[in-house]
Amino acid sequence: MPEITSRRGLLFGAAALSTGALITGCTSNEPKDEGSDDKDQPVADDKPGKQVTIGFAGPQADHGWLNAINDNAKERAKKYSDVTLESTEGSNDTAAQIGQVETLINKKVDVLVILPADGKALTQVGLKAMKAGIPVVNLDRVFATPQAYRCWIGGDNYGMGLSAGHYIGEKLKGKKNAKVIELAGLDNLELTKQRTKGFDDALKNYSNIEKVARQAADFTVESGQSKMSQLLQAQKNFDALWNHDDDQGVGALRAIKQAGRDDFLMVGGAGALSAFQAIESDDSVLKATVLYPPTMAASAIDLARALGQGKGISGMAEFEIPSFVTCYSAVVDKENVDKYMSTGFK
Amino acid sequence: MAPEPPLLTMSGITKSFPGVRALDGVDLQVQAGEVHCLLGQNGAGKSTLIKVLAGAHQPDDGEITWRGERTVLKSPIAAMRLGIATIYQELDLVEGLSVAENVHLGHEPTAAGFVVKGREAKASTVALLKRLGHAEIDPGTLVGDLSAAHQQIVSMARALSHEVRLIVMDEPSAALDPDEVDNLFRIVGDLTADGVAVVYISHRLEEIRRIGDRVTVLKDGRAVAGGLPAKETPTRDVVALMTGRNVEYVFPDRPVEPPVTEPVLKVRGLAREGEFEPLDLELRPGEIVGLAGLVGSGRSEILETIYGARKSTAGQVVVDGQTLKPGSVRAAVRAGLGLAPEERKAQALLMLESVTNNVSVSSMSRFSRGGWLDRGAERKAAQTATRELSLRPDNPTAPVRTLSGGNQQKAVLARWLLRGCRVLLLDEPTRGVDIGARAELYSVIRRLADEGLAVLLVSSEVPEVLGLADRVLVLREGRVVHTAPARDLDEHRVLDLVLEGSPAS
Amino acid sequence: MTQPASPPRPAASKSRPADGPSPLRSVAARVDVRTLSLLGVLAALILIGGITQPDSFLDTDNVQLILTQASVIGVVTVGMTFVIISGGIDLSVGAIVALASVWATTVATQEYGFAGILFTAVIVGMACGLVNGVLIAYGRMVPFIATLAMLASGRGLALQITDGKTQMVTVDGVLKLGERDSYILGIPPLVLVFAAVTVIGWLLLNRTTFGRRSVAVGGNAEAARLAGIDVRRQRLYLYLLSGLCCGIAAFLLIVLSGSGQNTNGNLYELDAIAAAIIGGTLLSGGRGTITGSVLGVLIFMTIQNIFALNNLETATQQIAKGAIIVAAVLVQRRTASTT
Repeated sequence: MPEITSRRGLLFGAAALSTGALITGCTSNEPKDEGSDDKDQPVADDKPGKQVTIGFAGPQADHGWLNAINDNAKERAKKYSDVTLESTEGSNDTAAQIGQVETLINKKVDVLVILPADGKALTQVGLKAMKAGIPVVNLDRVFATPQAYRCWIGGDNYGMGLSAGHYIGEKLKGKKNAKVIELAGLDNLELTKQRTKGFDDALKNYSNIEKVARQAADFTVESGQSKMSQLLQAQKNFDALWNHDDDQGVGALRAIKQAGRDDFLMVGGAGALSAFQAIESDDSVLKATVLYPPTMAASAIDLARALGQGKGISGMAEFEIPSFVTCYSAVVDKENVDKYMSTGFK
Repeated sequence: MAPEPPLLTMSGITKSFPGVRALDGVDLQVQAGEVHCLLGQNGAGKSTLIKVLAGAHQPDDGEITWRGERTVLKSPIAAMRLGIATIYQELDLVEGLSVAENVHLGHEPTAAGFVVKGREAKASTVALLKRLGHAEIDPGTLVGDLSAAHQQIVSMARALSHEVRLIVMDEPSAALDPDEVDNLFRIVGDLTADGVAVVYISHRLEEIRRIGDRVTVLKDGRAVAGGLPAKETPTRDVVALMTGRNVEYVFPDRPVEPPVTEPVLKVRGLAREGEFEPLDLELRPGEIVGLAGLVGSGRSEILETIYGARKSTAGQVVVDGQTLKPGSVRAAVRAGLGLAPEERKAQALLMLESVTNNVSVSSMSRFSRGGWLDRGAERKAAQTATRELSLRPDNPTAPVRTLSGGNQQKAVLARWLLRGCRVLLLDEPTRGVDIGARAELYSVIRRLADEGLAVLLVSSEVPEVLGLADRVLVLREGRVVHTAPARDLDEHRVLDLVLEGSPAS
Repeated sequence: MTQPASPPRPAASKSRPADGPSPLRSVAARVDVRTLSLLGVLAALILIGGITQPDSFLDTDNVQLILTQASVIGVVTVGMTFVIISGGIDLSVGAIVALASVWATTVATQEYGFAGILFTAVIVGMACGLVNGVLIAYGRMVPFIATLAMLASGRGLALQITDGKTQMVTVDGVLKLGERDSYILGIPPLVLVFAAVTVIGWLLLNRTTFGRRSVAVGGNAEAARLAGIDVRRQRLYLYLLSGLCCGIAAFLLIVLSGSGQNTNGNLYELDAIAAAIIGGTLLSGGRGTITGSVLGVLIFMTIQNIFALNNLETATQQIAKGAIIVAAVLVQRRTASTT
């Protein structure tokens, strides 16, 4: 599950929101615009350059989002003729993953992309790689110290909450005593708290809205169905619902259908294909979803390639790639769903 | 009698358990440096007495004097502190710990009160093992990996690791072969030479003759003789003391005519390696055959092997001309065998369930169609069986655990009665049954035989076997040493046979 | 030594009438103290729910909701109760539900429609139960270990099948079954299945040789063996039964959630064991009731429902759930020691 465990994630998150728009690779699979002003800057582009071997170590893909992460990384690497991807078996076992990263270090890959099973636990091996002169791109779950990576790229949980809250706030503008409920994810995870915090902070801007209920499911379809049906029973009247996760959203939508309710607006989270399809067909309460884009893995490959070739990023003034990239949590609704459809994960 | 005051005097020790008076005013005097033997049949009170001595049981009445001072043995630790060590028949060693750890268990040599000084413990263990003549045992070995004989040595080393003045040994030779017994006796000799007293319990009279100084005989919870000279007292007198009875059981009459029908059960050369030697046996309807022998003589093993609960290594069991599949209880039950095992609660009864369920458990298919139970018919049939045996209370829904021992046994018998079994195997049928209820149980068993059942009876109570059975097989160490009609035997002769293997002079 | 003794006369003549206990007594015997106390707990919970949320708790929708939510775990618990009564344990129920539900919702299976999904779910459940049973009964493995192994490999296989993806159900008949139109006289079909499984389970335990043998094996396996019961075959059947229940539950879950996911049945093993224990089933075997287990499930579901309706925080819910388990077990021990 996507996770930021460091407070830095929050601090930088706000700043990165503004830069996020510039880093288009982060939210889109479209090839980057051909740079026209790169004559005096060595920036990475689609043209073949120096050969780069990228080592990729991710966790076991037991969730649609993680699966999409692996796919995005592999697809992206395939696109570049100058990139060789050394990918490991996914593992949720910290010790196993440490071993896999060490193997990649011994193979002397040029750059490492690591999505750790547990950020804190893999910090040491990140440090080891950096000391061995292999720059590390840390994907999503952040290491305990910035010394363990050259660049971090990941999602923005707080930002998801903000985006969802603002979207709902705008939709309910002018409606008196509007009621909102929240179907959160697994409460044991810090990221769930961050999403809720962002959501609450956004709603504070709208004095006509009150959050009347919040229950936590656990990212599974089953729990989504169960918790949603109880929320529906508890709240006979409300105007909008934010659901943290599109996977559990499958269950939530099922519960809504079973209860025969259609009197409110629902916003999802993460960006599953099924959610995009529902938004596009516009035949359910699900009207939008806020992204936690798995395309960040593709961007991580871009960043790793640029690192390996010693270049900066097209569209930015610096000679080097940034050290911290937080992906923007865009809102996908009927207007723009076409653009995102291909990034949706199953 | 030695001039110095006795090391230990127990006088008037009385101990009752619910329903049983295990010890009834027992006196025992032990001198320093002597081997004092305790004799008595099963249930005579020997184990209770040594548990009192070990501080494991508190006597209801009586006094204990230790080295001239009255004392109360509040706990096993208190007894150990005084220098009384006990080696139980069932060894109480921790198999997962090493020899040295077992020897020092509970009183490890420590630094700062909790850090075990392993080297010191090992060194003192080595010294103890050497003293016991078994220097070859490595103190680092796990006890579970040792032979039974070596485990016993460890147990003894543990006793000696305390400063000990009296050692109680409960049938220490039972698990040993002759060489090891010799070594054991040498150790006992060394100990007594050092002034340590040994209380020695054994069934084997010849051992008592070899190492004993004096003998105390227990019988039905009383000391019927104390301090007899072990080497001089004639065997006949000792046996007479052991068997002289206070309670006379009432046994039902035997049929006048011995049955002449074809045998229903034929056992041919049945054996289980290490447990009992090839056995031949025929059992006719209406006949009760008794197996007499000591614990460990293979009696229960024989019953359980016939029943298929243990798999035979040789021979056959034939019921009505049909050879049973070895090691299959189901085949035996289907052929008409029924077992009332020794450990009723552990092996026969469903303690949480009702009388009816306990009685019907082996005949359920009779009251069911397609697995569906006709509970009315079941209860009625079970009740018919329990009423025939006068099981009380006459309440089919009463949980079986609330019944007395005798009635629990009747529930087991009713199970086989209901099943319509033809051969009943009874293992210690009156264990845990009140004296008063035994007579009734005896007459029930005889009546079942009169109605055409064949009964094979095992009992460690010789009078029970003699009184109830028509024919008796005497067992000693897994071998039948004598077969005779019960009326041609008496208790002395059977005891001679089981104790010594041959008729005593 | 052989002295005459008159054989005791059968005591039939003086005892109470032979036609058994009176109807009143038999009702009292059937509804034992433990069941009554569970009903009391449930009544108290209903009172609490009614007081705190008078509008949303006490309406038909909510009753339907609680019963529907209870159906899936309830069916699993019936199977688990049999296993625990027989002195065993089945830690693999959640994994079996997951495996059966994803196997039954693959694209290939869905081509066979309603029957294909139902058949696959049940067969996969039974196959897993069969493996458990063979390992335990004939491989002499400890149930804890054998079913733990099944838990691990079942979850692994489920993950392999789905690749972590959610498999949406496209068969209309299956989807419809979980929706309001299919209610029969106001009762959701899932609840009817749960009720049927409960009744069949009760009959199986109390009225058949199978049930009697299960209790005997759990109460005293050695005594059961010496009484001529085929203990091993009985154990095999019991795990097969548990697997069957998991297969049925998997189908119900597919209907309920309209999908199959490898995360399905998460921690069902703990919920089912807890419900059975609260219902009075002895963890050591030999005693237990279907009624108690089902009441245990309903109590859990009602608590969860009340928590959700009152919008309690997750942490509070978890603490309260733990406290209720402890309290129920303490009450059980007290009841056991006084009888």
